[in-house]
Amino acid sequence: MLDFNFSFSAEVDNEQEYDLIIIGGGPAGLSAGLYAARYKLKTLLIEKAPVAGGQLTATEWVENYPGFPEPVLGKKLAQDMENQAKFFGLEIVNESVQRVSLSPEIKEIVTNANTWKARTVLIATGSSPRKLGVPGENEFSGRGVSYCATCDGPFYPEKTVAVIGGGNTAFEESLFIAKYAAKIFIIHRREGFSADPIIIERVKANAKIELITNTIVEEIDFGGESRKLKLKNTVTAQQSELPIDGVFVFIGSSPNSEIFKDQIALDGGYIVTDRNHATSTPGVWAAGDAEAKTLRQVATAVGDGALAAYNIHKYLENMEIV
Amino acid sequence: MPILDDKVIGEVKKALQNMKNEVHLVLFTQSFECGYCKETHQLLEELVSTNSLLKLEVHQFESDKEAVDKYGVDKIPAIAIIGEKDYGIRFYGIPAGYEFSSLLSAILMVSTGMVKLGEDTKKFLDKLSKPVHMQVFVTPTCPYCPQAVILAHQMAFYSNNVKADMVEVSEFPHLAQKYQVQGVPRTTINENWYQEGAAPEQMIIAKIEESL
Repeated sequence: MLDFNFSFSAEVDNEQEYDLIIIGGGPAGLSAGLYAARYKLKTLLIEKAPVAGGQLTATEWVENYPGFPEPVLGKKLAQDMENQAKFFGLEIVNESVQRVSLSPEIKEIVTNANTWKARTVLIATGSSPRKLGVPGENEFSGRGVSYCATCDGPFYPEKTVAVIGGGNTAFEESLFIAKYAAKIFIIHRREGFSADPIIIERVKANAKIELITNTIVEEIDFGGESRKLKLKNTVTAQQSELPIDGVFVFIGSSPNSEIFKDQIALDGGYIVTDRNHATSTPGVWAAGDAEAKTLRQVATAVGDGALAAYNIHKYLENMEIV
Repeated sequence: MPILDDKVIGEVKKALQNMKNEVHLVLFTQSFECGYCKETHQLLEELVSTNSLLKLEVHQFESDKEAVDKYGVDKIPAIAIIGEKDYGIRFYGIPAGYEFSSLLSAILMVSTGMVKLGEDTKKFLDKLSKPVHMQVFVTPTCPYCPQAVILAHQMAFYSNNVKADMVEVSEFPHLAQKYQVQGVPRTTINENWYQEGAAPEQMIIAKIEESL
């Protein structure tokens, strides 16, 4: 079945000053945008991709977001969130942010195409897949090493692939890849998995998927006649080779905070916020996966976004009274 | 049965409401040995019905040699996006899924003349004197791919020396093999150079420089 994913925004005037600029159009940014638009704040959301949703767009099924008793397609949920926010007046532009100036009272956001000005900024830039950091990974990225199952799963019909990781993403994406591949090895460095028990059960029931625990990848060797992973057992220290056609890496994420690092406080790259999602810099908030926090889910991101928008609204109100 | 339902048609109308000049969608198709020609043809017919500035022109790939040569088309289905002139913007394979956003974006750009390229990119393209051919390999389910396609198409629109193709890789497995595509988006530049992922303008420009 064919489907069509797209969205477009009205032409936007870059001369004006915004009450709020939101950087990033994943669930946190879209939720904040929805709330801010309903508070009647003059709000602009800057998203680099032509279709908003962030990592949600690369998730096939979402089944732990309340209100959807049947699993909902990630891209459908993302598109609905975007449409809902736009319906209430959120403006979205598709540009990529190059640098920011967050300290002045009027903050500047420079993109590939414009310079935008706002009284407050919400950083909702999310996170990107973390790399393994082993030999061969960069060399074969896009030629057998992948970080996106919905993008690259179709390249492996009836093939054998490895999935690295032990969390929800590794397990859920393995089930997606199993639609194409004949055999999947999930390789995890520990004995136990951090994926939700319900997903672990489903993976264990899938005859195509085999679990390899206490094992780390030492090298991705795709250069020769046959492709293989060089593995090492963390308990016995025994080394082995596993012939495969491709490898998907899902070992967590790292925050997209590089361009802010000299202007707000970070902890291990994650943005430090208070309980109201304010950062260390006045007039700047953060929401979603880029924040230092314990659980990174759609459900937590939309809550972060709503709470941040509420506090930004209060902050702007107080500024006007003074 | 229509490919685009009423809801999508309504959204497409909104998306294209700022079109200014006529845009011709030049389709190359044939009735045999083409996985998605029929669907692509129907998709474009439904698409042009949403806006009077959109025109569809259909050519038979196997018999209409003159048009095939004029537009330099070498596989099907193929769509050339033509405005005041031919900017070298092509879609090979059906622009469905996330690539539908790349198609609408190309139409709007050609119709309005608006490109969102950085000043450094424009300066680089102004000085470019050699031909550059970019092929962006995609799958329809890849949410990061339109960024790479739209950037390549913008460069083609801005510079007479740049041609840019979207290539839906599952319809052209021999090209996946030839260019070693096993992950998307992947942009090949002048055959022998490539860039992985939805890379920023500076990285693509660096690759173009290497390829010259």
